[in-house]
Amino acid sequence: MIELQSDSLVFTFPDIHRAAKLHIDFQRTLRIPDDGREYPLPPGLGRFPLRHVDDFGARVPGRWIQHGGVMLPMYQSEALWLNFSSWSDYPFAVKIATGLINAVTGKGWENELQRRPQDYLVVPTQPWLDGYCVKKGIIRQFVAMPLGAGYTVEEQLTDAAEHGGLQIVAYPMKAEAFEDRFGGPAYFARRDALCQLSSLRPAPDMGLAPGGRMRQEIYDDPFPFDEWDTGHRSRCFVHLCNSLTWRAITGSEAPTVPFTSEEYTRLGLPWFEYYVEGVEALEGGDVLAGAKSVKELGEEKGDNPLPENVSVDPTHIVELRKGLKEGQVREGRF
Amino acid sequence: MNGFGTFIRDRREELRREDASFSLRKVAERLGIEPSYLSKVEREEVAPPSERTIVNLAEILDQDPDVLLALAGKVSSELVEIIRKRPRLFGEVLRELREAPDQAVLRVVREVRDGEW
Repeated sequence: MIELQSDSLVFTFPDIHRAAKLHIDFQRTLRIPDDGREYPLPPGLGRFPLRHVDDFGARVPGRWIQHGGVMLPMYQSEALWLNFSSWSDYPFAVKIATGLINAVTGKGWENELQRRPQDYLVVPTQPWLDGYCVKKGIIRQFVAMPLGAGYTVEEQLTDAAEHGGLQIVAYPMKAEAFEDRFGGPAYFARRDALCQLSSLRPAPDMGLAPGGRMRQEIYDDPFPFDEWDTGHRSRCFVHLCNSLTWRAITGSEAPTVPFTSEEYTRLGLPWFEYYVEGVEALEGGDVLAGAKSVKELGEEKGDNPLPENVSVDPTHIVELRKGLKEGQVREGRF
Repeated sequence: MNGFGTFIRDRREELRREDASFSLRKVAERLGIEPSYLSKVEREEVAPPSERTIVNLAEILDQDPDVLLALAGKVSSELVEIIRKRPRLFGEVLRELREAPDQAVLRVVREVRDGEW
């Protein structure tokens, strides 16, 4: 079962184990430059607000009601990352897709887990996901674009602008396996900051597209595959809507637009690198590697979808390693 | 009749033992009704009063207005309006939850629903 608590999705499996509790929230962040260079991890600028689509039944598109789930507001070309935490170290296998395209492999959506090639993340080994896994150790940032404009991964790989949004399914570890293995403290983390206003044009329904390149590893499953409880899962469809649509649906304002990477870096604010020792990184999806970035596609179309795309040279980089204390946030000094 | 009168009389008397301002006359005064009418309501000689009076009474007696309305055989106009907007959906929800324990109902209220995709 999934509940919404303080703008966080809380997956619980009380029938499996009372400790089986997974939190996922969606962090606002800088859009890193889409310039072919590889950047460190940008900060977290707070959670996107989340609302049940059912609470606004009369004002949301019919297919959103059909999908169920929740919704959040994004500006065009705004970026996000997913923040995972498992408060008791309880392991989860989590599949993430955008527009029903798997963010790790680039394949079409399937509810079931696949071990080779691995099409899921393991939490808490993987504390964050910032984008599409395009190569070992490299992702392309999740960037919001209007569905129908041709930029989203879904449109690039399927030639259809049908689903949009972001999809999640989580599987807990089997209770016996958890009892046999665990009991230690949790580690999870990350990053906070500020925001600032600018204006962006509206679109009715958003999808995610590949943005700039970032150093982030997607870790190989460290557990035997049969320790996942594949008989129990919870799914959630996260709808993305632009800020004007959000206001029309909910009556409340979307958060203001974050800093640009240039402003943030000029102020000397921190970027991040994250390391986990003893865990292999996945190779990345060939299909995803072939998808074009928003900037590349924009140039082909004669469009300028990323008006603020100046290259930056982050000098203040904070290194984080697995082993952070519970509640510690990936943030810098201001 | 329906237990509403007995319930509010017992509650008012319980409060009056500690505080004289909960006498029949003074509570009626605060509600803007005649003491004789409140007395008849408490003895269940007449039908329960209007929704507005019941909600005010709930506040005076520190009770949940929805509970008092239910005892009086009424549903708040706010809830009626909610159901009226989506009668089919809420009709299904209420029937589905009719026999569910409180904990299960609370869980359903905030659970994120999965649909078809």
